[in-house]
Amino acid sequence: MTALAATGLHAGYGDIEVLRGVSITARTGAVTAIVGANGAGKSTLMRVLAGLLPVSRGRLELDGADITKLPPHARVARGVVLVPEGRLIFPDLSVHENLILGSVTPHAQGVRDETLAQVYAMFPRLAERRSQAGGTLSGGEQQMLALGRGLMARPGVLLLDEPTLGLAPAIAKDIFRIVPRLRDAGLAVIIAEQDLRRTLRIADFAYVLENGTVVSSGKGKDLENDPDVQRAYLGLSGH
Amino acid sequence: MLDSLLSAQLLFAAAVLGSIYALVGLGLNLVYGTMRLLNIAHGDILMIGAFSAYWWFTLTGLSPLIALPLVAAIGAGLGLALYFGLFRRQLAQGLPPAAIEARSLLLFFGVSVVLQNVVAFFFSSTPRAYRHLDEVVRIGDLAMTGNRIAALVVAVTLLAGMLVFLNRSLFGIEIRALIQHREAARVVGINVDRVQMVAIALGFAAAAIAGALLSMTEQTSPFMGFRFTIAAFVVIILGGLGNIRGGIIAGMLLAVIEIYAVTIFSAEARSILIYGAFVAALLIRPQGLIGFGKRG
Repeated sequence: MTALAATGLHAGYGDIEVLRGVSITARTGAVTAIVGANGAGKSTLMRVLAGLLPVSRGRLELDGADITKLPPHARVARGVVLVPEGRLIFPDLSVHENLILGSVTPHAQGVRDETLAQVYAMFPRLAERRSQAGGTLSGGEQQMLALGRGLMARPGVLLLDEPTLGLAPAIAKDIFRIVPRLRDAGLAVIIAEQDLRRTLRIADFAYVLENGTVVSSGKGKDLENDPDVQRAYLGLSGH
Repeated sequence: MLDSLLSAQLLFAAAVLGSIYALVGLGLNLVYGTMRLLNIAHGDILMIGAFSAYWWFTLTGLSPLIALPLVAAIGAGLGLALYFGLFRRQLAQGLPPAAIEARSLLLFFGVSVVLQNVVAFFFSSTPRAYRHLDEVVRIGDLAMTGNRIAALVVAVTLLAGMLVFLNRSLFGIEIRALIQHREAARVVGINVDRVQMVAIALGFAAAAIAGALLSMTEQTSPFMGFRFTIAAFVVIILGGLGNIRGGIIAGMLLAVIEIYAVTIFSAEARSILIYGAFVAALLIRPQGLIGFGKRG
């Protein structure tokens, strides 16, 4: 079932247009990958989907309803939740407070204690450090905190923006192990990643972004050896 | 000489003034922290609170302490009017903090001039005072007037209440989250507009209440506010942005410096020291002196 559908999205910063007519769909119970080189527009797309950046043109639908103009908090309330690039945790708030802030919306608040127990069970490290300030955690722990905070919102569509950037290989592996579990739990996961091979291996469907447009798409496994993908990923403009 | 400097009398005076500074600083912390609005009219809101209390007492003969909810409502109303009239749309545009600071500085300068002169026009600029709860209570050598005790008790109670609210309630944690990281606050789904509304209403109410308390112990005039604007900035610079506990300590510290300076030198030393502390605070620690932990 299609959860999120973007049609012809245009967006950018000031006069600089970063996305030029991007169309993607993400299905429930599936991992949808957005791959592409640095500067292809992956993070911009994720910010647009979360409502942090307005679109200049295009349409965004969640379960068939138009959410193009909704502010971020209204999207979170409807289950569209971003785990942002750079994690953006609250450094001076405790781990516990960071997680609590993940469930500020009414529907998440109602089941907060239950979700919190699940997140702590998933990331025992966070439970050990619940009263520690978020900023004192290691990079990997901060990524777990950001992910846990996102899950606290009870997402239907989870947007993972560069979840392994800057992490030690062992921890990056952990993250890639968690993503399929989230899919199996019935989430629509959209992941933007630089680690092409691992990402395509866990993706049910993937879009290749180059210069703000989708240049190729298909099943994750089919794209692995696609020359277009290699080119887009390496950022070698072949024209 | 040393005896008199360590006297309970001076410490009591410093505690009263310090709790008022802390309350004024808390208000500015909420407004500047959540929205980066450089509210240089903050002391003028205190002045409005002081005038409200003065007129309440003069017209009804009742204690201004009874009128505190009304004074708070006047402050909150002013804050909300300015928020909806001037700032809401600009904040929604997502301008960088520096642009918000520059614009709000100019706008609040205008607000300050208007408030001062409207009050001076209607009520003249003659300083006013009234006598309320001015009987002296003695404990040993310490002589305290009832109004100073009342001011201290009310200010400390409000500060403690705000600490609990900001640290324990979900809405309080949302306010601290917005102070700390605006983008992250948007990411997790905090209704930023609503938090800003509450922050400006609470911040202005705190300043107005501080003014009402002050009016019981000091003269009230249309131009009394600037000193408190500066004091509030010293409090948040020394205490740390968003750090309520640090702000309370900084408010007390500033009051101690001021009270002792006035005692040792003269009353003229007061303003020199407050502005001196402001400049020194900016030069030494622009990021805040007391702890970087912004845990309420």
